[in-house]
Amino acid sequence: MTVYITSTGSFLPGPAITVDQVENVLGAVNGKPSSLRVQIQKANKIETRHYAIDEQQKTTHSNTEMATNAAEQCLDRAFAHREKIGMLAVASTQGDLPAPGMASMVQAELELPEIEILTTHGICSSSIMALKAAWNSLRLEEHEAALVVSSELASRLLKKQRYEAATTSTFAAKRIDFSTEFLRWMLSDGAGALLLENKPAPKGLSLRIDWIRGFSHAHALPTCMSVGSAGRPEDTRTWQDYDTYAEAEQDGALLLRQDVRLLDNLMRMGVDGYLRLVEEGVSKPGEVDHFLCHYSSHHFRNKILEMLDTAGAGIPEEKWWTNLYTRGNTGSASLFIMLDEFLRTDEVTVKEGDKVLCFVPESGRFNTTYLQLTVVSE
Amino acid sequence: MNDGEISIEGGGSTANQESEYEGVILNPHAQVCLQQLLRVWLGFERDLSKVPLLRRIDLGTYTVQDHQIFLRNIRQQVIEGSRWITRTASSFDRDHSEIRSTIISHAVDEHRDYEMLEKDYVASGGQLEDILNMERNIGSEALHGFLMHRSSRPNPIDLLGAMWIIEGLGEKMANSWAERIQELTGLSEDSTRFMTYHGENDSDHMQRFYATLNSVCVNEKAIKSIVKTSKVVARLYRLQLEEIEYDIQ
Repeated sequence: MTVYITSTGSFLPGPAITVDQVENVLGAVNGKPSSLRVQIQKANKIETRHYAIDEQQKTTHSNTEMATNAAEQCLDRAFAHREKIGMLAVASTQGDLPAPGMASMVQAELELPEIEILTTHGICSSSIMALKAAWNSLRLEEHEAALVVSSELASRLLKKQRYEAATTSTFAAKRIDFSTEFLRWMLSDGAGALLLENKPAPKGLSLRIDWIRGFSHAHALPTCMSVGSAGRPEDTRTWQDYDTYAEAEQDGALLLRQDVRLLDNLMRMGVDGYLRLVEEGVSKPGEVDHFLCHYSSHHFRNKILEMLDTAGAGIPEEKWWTNLYTRGNTGSASLFIMLDEFLRTDEVTVKEGDKVLCFVPESGRFNTTYLQLTVVSE
Repeated sequence: MNDGEISIEGGGSTANQESEYEGVILNPHAQVCLQQLLRVWLGFERDLSKVPLLRRIDLGTYTVQDHQIFLRNIRQQVIEGSRWITRTASSFDRDHSEIRSTIISHAVDEHRDYEMLEKDYVASGGQLEDILNMERNIGSEALHGFLMHRSSRPNPIDLLGAMWIIEGLGEKMANSWAERIQELTGLSEDSTRFMTYHGENDSDHMQRFYATLNSVCVNEKAIKSIVKTSKVVARLYRLQLEEIEYDIQ
């Protein structure tokens, strides 16, 4: 059974926040402006982003609300009736509740009765896991339509109070702790949704899903991006091993960390995975019309370009398209938000027959995911 | 101190590397070969993270003692390295005089590298006689045996696959390990000179590598043999690092 993306939607909370306003929203830790902010923002080149918290760091939209808003927009734009939806797959790095799964909460908001649900847990690639499961479920002809939603509310992890409370952490001990601060100036909030159906939309363009593949390297590489440990190699405790959650927070075990030293592995494994798909004949670089790559920072774009060119599998830069710079890095939601705008933007001409290659790497413990879509019209 | 931060100047090194590649245009076979070699390299590099001693660099638990153990175990391979390279050069016949010249000059560059490594060992607090007395570990025996065997065959172009792995590692030591090791151990530059020096020269070596690959990798058979040898060398090199002798002999 061939499966198509027949509608998309997205939701970005609040106004676009410029580079200089970011610290007003997230807050200056202990009243002191960060000494790393400008440097990191220069490297990632993100100009505007959105947050679901206000300047008092109060939550303006829950993660469930954002997911629901993106899903509603996607359904409003769809020709298919809601009753056709047999499955809802929802991805997020962290839902509003640790339990139950976020798909339950989103289903409730959308009032979709008696559907099959799936919550995928991970970081950036969790949306691709959800998409693949929904795709397979349609391929097996268990459902006629499935809704896939991804939403991220990273700012709740990045607000100043989190860092101020971590009084005995590596962040408090060091003058500059790059690994705990790096993502503060990278990630922001938003949600995206895709509707999958077993036939193209009756009007306009649909995206046929050609293939989805993923390669995880956790068996070989250490954890790179995580929440839940204090970030000291000798300390094996995770957040629930502390006597109280307050102690875990104090020790920095609830801070989001990324070991940036390990990040080069992600570019390498990303290129390796793509070369593997080329070798297997799954992807042909020459046939790619549009390349939508989720990279967290402009810095990494050049590295990927350079390695692919060296291998003779380069995709010319004019075929790359992203909205990272204006919508921010919204983790697992990024690709869905990107696809939604890609189909509507005037910046690029999308026509029937075009092949769209997408790449979503996850630094957590090095999972690289790829998919190819073909633009079709009924 | 590099606290893991990424350079934001963007350009510098990237631009240089690109122009270096520009010098050599690869024929289609060499291009396919390079694509496959890149995958062998990336797999090798990833799997190095599984080697217990090297994992400590990633995890931040690498100590002065670990550095001494590393240097003691790698010295034999560095000494033997110049032997298989010169053997390789002498195994090329008159129809391959260009590649022979390239390999000879490469061997001249590196054949006394082990002396630098010995100085690093002493600078990191080790006793010279301890490193001089080390035998090849089990993995070094296997690696050396394989390389001497292959290099003794006529026109052993497959050894380009070996050079690819070993040169790549030199670059990795310089760019990813040397500074990090200094940071973790508090040792000075004197203790990682072998690593950094290697990186400085390796970009020239890569340039020569691409030119040589282009001239000898002209059919399917050549691709296969070069890629296979690179895989064997990658596996045996990792074996050498897994079979570390922790004690002084």
